[in-house]
Amino acid sequence: MDLSAKWKELKVSWQPRIKEWKFMLKRIRESPLALIGIAIIIGFVIIACLAPVLAPPQAGWDPFMLRPDKDLAILTPDPTPPTTRHIFGTTAEKFDIYYGCIWGTINAFRVGLIVVAIALVIGVVLGTVAAYYGGLIDEILMRFTDIIIALPGLVLAMALVIAFPTAIPLNITLIILVVSAVLSIYFAAFKPQRKYLLPNQIILLISLFLYLTNPIVIGLNMSKLDKVLISLAIVGWPGYARLIRGEVLRVKNEDYVEAAKASGCSDLRIIIKHILPNTVYPLLIVVTLDIGSIVLTAAALSFLGIGADPNFADWGNIISMSRTWISSPELLVRHYYTFLIPGIFISLFVLGWNLLGDALRDILDPMIRRR
Amino acid sequence: MTSLPAYIARRLILLIFVLLGVSLLIFAITTLIPIEIRAMLYVRNVQHTSPQQLIEIAKKRGLDRPIHEQFFAWLSEVLQGNLGFSKFSQQPVADAILERWPYTFEIVLFAAPLIIFIGIFLGVQAAIHKDGLIDHACRVLSIIGWSLPSFWLGLLLLSVFSGYLHWVSPGPLDTNLLQFRNNPSSGFIRYTKIDLFDGLLNGRPDITLNVIQHAILPVIVIVTINVALLIRVMRSSMLEALNKPYTVAARAKGLDDKTVIYKHARRNALIPVVTLSGMLVAGLLGGLVITETVFGFGGLGQWAANAALQLDVPAVLGYALLSAFLFVIANLIVDILYAYIDPRIRLV
Amino acid sequence: MTEDSLVAVKNLVVKFYTYAGVVEALDGVNLKIRPGEILGLVGETGCGKSVTSFSILQLVPPPGRIEEGEIYLNVGGKTLDIRSLPKDAIRQIRGKDIAMIFQEPRAYLNPVYTVETQIGEALLTHRKNEFLQKAIEALEKAGKKSSFEKRVYERMLKKPKSLVTKIMAKFCRKKTLMKEVHKEVVELLRSVEIADPERVAKMYPFELSGGMAQRAVIAMALSCQPLMLIADEPTTNLDVTVQAQILNLVRELRKTFKSSILYITHDLGVIAELCDRVAVMYAGNVVESADVYELFEAPLHPYTKALLESIPKPGEEFKSIPGTVPSLINPPKGCRFHDRCQYEMDVCRKIKPEFIEVKKDHFVACHLYGGSK
Repeated sequence: MDLSAKWKELKVSWQPRIKEWKFMLKRIRESPLALIGIAIIIGFVIIACLAPVLAPPQAGWDPFMLRPDKDLAILTPDPTPPTTRHIFGTTAEKFDIYYGCIWGTINAFRVGLIVVAIALVIGVVLGTVAAYYGGLIDEILMRFTDIIIALPGLVLAMALVIAFPTAIPLNITLIILVVSAVLSIYFAAFKPQRKYLLPNQIILLISLFLYLTNPIVIGLNMSKLDKVLISLAIVGWPGYARLIRGEVLRVKNEDYVEAAKASGCSDLRIIIKHILPNTVYPLLIVVTLDIGSIVLTAAALSFLGIGADPNFADWGNIISMSRTWISSPELLVRHYYTFLIPGIFISLFVLGWNLLGDALRDILDPMIRRR
Repeated sequence: MTSLPAYIARRLILLIFVLLGVSLLIFAITTLIPIEIRAMLYVRNVQHTSPQQLIEIAKKRGLDRPIHEQFFAWLSEVLQGNLGFSKFSQQPVADAILERWPYTFEIVLFAAPLIIFIGIFLGVQAAIHKDGLIDHACRVLSIIGWSLPSFWLGLLLLSVFSGYLHWVSPGPLDTNLLQFRNNPSSGFIRYTKIDLFDGLLNGRPDITLNVIQHAILPVIVIVTINVALLIRVMRSSMLEALNKPYTVAARAKGLDDKTVIYKHARRNALIPVVTLSGMLVAGLLGGLVITETVFGFGGLGQWAANAALQLDVPAVLGYALLSAFLFVIANLIVDILYAYIDPRIRLV
Repeated sequence: MTEDSLVAVKNLVVKFYTYAGVVEALDGVNLKIRPGEILGLVGETGCGKSVTSFSILQLVPPPGRIEEGEIYLNVGGKTLDIRSLPKDAIRQIRGKDIAMIFQEPRAYLNPVYTVETQIGEALLTHRKNEFLQKAIEALEKAGKKSSFEKRVYERMLKKPKSLVTKIMAKFCRKKTLMKEVHKEVVELLRSVEIADPERVAKMYPFELSGGMAQRAVIAMALSCQPLMLIADEPTTNLDVTVQAQILNLVRELRKTFKSSILYITHDLGVIAELCDRVAVMYAGNVVESADVYELFEAPLHPYTKALLESIPKPGEEFKSIPGTVPSLINPPKGCRFHDRCQYEMDVCRKIKPEFIEVKKDHFVACHLYGGSK
């Protein structure tokens, strides 16, 4: 009985939000660009889901690795144009381009979604902290984002990918030591957090002892793909941090936050319940556009050869094999299929997300302003 | 008071800070490079030096000192122009940059103004004719342009215009002209090292024209992809300005449409666009990596791409540092322009 | 009705086509401003006062559209139907015959140009030939009878549209012309009681205080000696003391320039102090219009009565009007005030009352006074 009353209360309090979502969906349905974008994305989702059916991998082989067609390899060292056996043709290494395009779809989703997820989490946390607490923390974090933004994304990603040694020795004890040292300053400075100070100091002393006597080091073996993912996430998070910070600052000064503070809400609760939900709209737009942009950058890295492994089923990777004919464009024309079709895949994929993001930007802008 | 010099001084300090931070970040990545490679900078004949000798030189040069000492040493090196040694191009990074920057400059020289002027013009037109044909066309075309991978568009243009139509060959110049330029006995003096200008200075306008001919395709690629952002920002900024009270007041004064749009609204609308343009131009260095590679232009971008392929970290970092430096300078110029256009800023 | 008026508005209907629906902002507005009189337009926020004033100058912003109605301007012995005028003619009227000043002066001035530039702009738009003549005379007096500048000015007077003139004008620095304009700007600023007008002329809008900015805007509006000035709540955002100064200024200027003023406000006190006649608006209609004394002493429309009663008096309870202003997206049928009116009759819900003359020069739109003729 108590539960159903609470449920009713929840439904009532969500009513205006639901109304706004319905309005947003209506506007989306009316916008041709948004619909085309969604259609394209759904198309790629279908391809990704049906990949094992559309391009069956060979048993025992990692489906994400391209497999050379040995029969053709004996015949000629050049790429082969589209035939019934290889619908889009093959590359010089006799990789089936059709297969690469289909399985590359899954890879594109993987790269886009994972990188955006990581960058989003880091960016949102840091941005919120910076904006909410202000002062020195804000200054430091913002200068940090300034620094990363000062470097062109592709260049920084390049530098990170090649500079990351494949095995990073992580000194866990050192990390815990530094973190607890920093936290102890924080806990000591803010009265309400004093209760965490003592346990933290204990951890600090233990890790200090371990660091001096028997430090624990673990090695991370990152695959090339992981390096790309992490590099792109590092390049991407400042954008989110700045955005969230702007939004939090805007909302922080609203009256209802003051009211929440006055009625005794804890800081964390205010952030989660009041501030973050209002930052969703601009975030949604940036996320949609970013997925496309990250896939483009990842493809560029693969094209340059510093992305994933050479046998990987990745769109940019397939096109990178065309690099050899750059100096003799006639060959490039003859082997057009090695770059034309995978490129169309990339363009359409990114186009879908960009159309959706741009349409969202138009739709959500008046809604943001209405507040 | 609204004094311009004080404002510039404030921005300068902030930017020096960012530069320092960027160098710190780059340095942090530098520390991941094995010291043997870093030692190569101090060796005249790289081939004949064994790894052990390199390590000894590293120790002598203090490359295994504590990190903070290394940072200041590195910083002083950088300020003296020493950016490390590029293993794959067998020369100091600084020299490699000096050799190759003219080609990059030739592309940016044409691409940047085109992006800015086309972007501003189309953005203003799209805003004036909101929801009209030109507005929708601009929007769709610029979204498509923004979605294309630069290497793909480059390959496409290269294959059609170079491979199929044979209008132009890859690279910054025709091969015969290149040989002519490099031949010491041909009498060609490289005054500025930029072929575009040297052609005219040497009485060979055909070389200048040839440079332009070769630069057309890369410039098209860069402009197509980057103009979208500028159009969008200009459009929304202009729309906002057109709805502002002062536009209504200008109309109420009896001013004609042209004056209201171009004199009143546009000047205010340009303010955010100026900031964006500066950053866009500075960011071109990122896109150039791909474009120069595809067209074999031989500039900094292509060099950085090859360096990355060879895992040559000093070279890539040198490029990154240069990009950041240019970004910071562009920011400063933009800030000054901004204060010039908008008198309100000088007060802040 | 239009013969003795300077500006007459008849049955003006304006609708706004928004995402939320069609807003029927003006539902047949009737207004008449006589030459030399100050007409106060009073009503609550959102009743359509500003839309009415924008309509007179054809400045209704999209998604708004003037659907029906007529707007007449009597100037130079001719009656102009503003709605049917071509764009060029309307631009001639704006700023010259009818000028407008707004609520927040600093927002309505372009922030990137100085005061001088913007007032000078108004001067050059409507009084260009006058200044060209002055510049020519100044150059002649200075002895530069055949300078390039003088020839450019003479050409601009005689053949302003020719291409050659335009090219020559582009290359000419026009220093003398600008000097003449500057002199006039300073005089204008002085006439609105701005101290140190030379300095203020070179300032940017954000450097001015609210009162000074409003004076500058008034100077700009009066620079071309308009027949009518539309003042859209010009003192609402100012301190009371500054407000008093501006009101005094407006009164003085009316005496000097003899222009009519359409003064829009929601402050009945200002109306009482300043205006000759008053028009009361509610939800997109003018419900009553009369001489100011008549309105305050013998109001006829129930809304006017309720408004006057709601003015707080010391020692008495607050009296408010029950209910809220109706949404204009689906306005109530009949008289729009009927659901809040204490004299509501059956007919009020069905038929909209007409705006008729009940006493001499006293118009009301109410069924109590036979508005359903």
